[in-house]
Amino acid sequence: MKIVVRILIVILGLALIPVTAVATAAFKQRFEDGPNRVFSGGPLVSGELFQGPEPDWSFVNEIPTIEMQLEEPATSRRIWVASSAGKLYVWSGYMDTTVGRLWKQWPVQASENGRAVLRIDGTRYERQLNRVQSGPELDGITAVISEKYPSATTRETIESGQVWLFEAAPRSGAGS
Amino acid sequence: MKNFYIFLAIAIVTTALTVWFVPGVDDFVEVTFQRYLGQAARS
Repeated sequence: MKIVVRILIVILGLALIPVTAVATAAFKQRFEDGPNRVFSGGPLVSGELFQGPEPDWSFVNEIPTIEMQLEEPATSRRIWVASSAGKLYVWSGYMDTTVGRLWKQWPVQASENGRAVLRIDGTRYERQLNRVQSGPELDGITAVISEKYPSATTRETIESGQVWLFEAAPRSGAGS
Repeated sequence: MKNFYIFLAIAIVTTALTVWFVPGVDDFVEVTFQRYLGQAARS
């Protein structure tokens, strides 16, 4: 029995080494100006804050990812982006899996407070994230997403809650 | 076991310091973690 306990201690102890590596990398990223890959970064600080009329968002369909920071909590992550019919969209998949819900907390946070800052090509944009769960615009945006990414995002996955889709709309009172 | 605990403590501290201070190590850890996380989320 004693040997079994010792073996368990050794296994758990050795497992602590990669856990430490991941935890350290994730913690370190919180002090950075933005995210790197999957670990959340700190607030988006650098970059000019966009002022002016609503941009033509079609250029984001040529950009792989953007950085997004919520107002609360003030952490940032790298996400996919697409534009359709002049509107800007971000989304999160895996929302119907346990790991996905643990990993992707920003969609829930954005549902509670949608004020966000997007940094695209070094420019920061203040936006309001509004969840879209149905509507005629889903056909257009899912077509763009499917063309741009190896993604299984469809009208059905959005309506069923597997994918949470947000329109990154202008904030009320912002120049548009 | 005492030697194992000492080894473990040194390994954990060394790992943390290496990830924090050695350029590129944090990115390697993140890439590796991303790979396993993606597989887990899809399952």
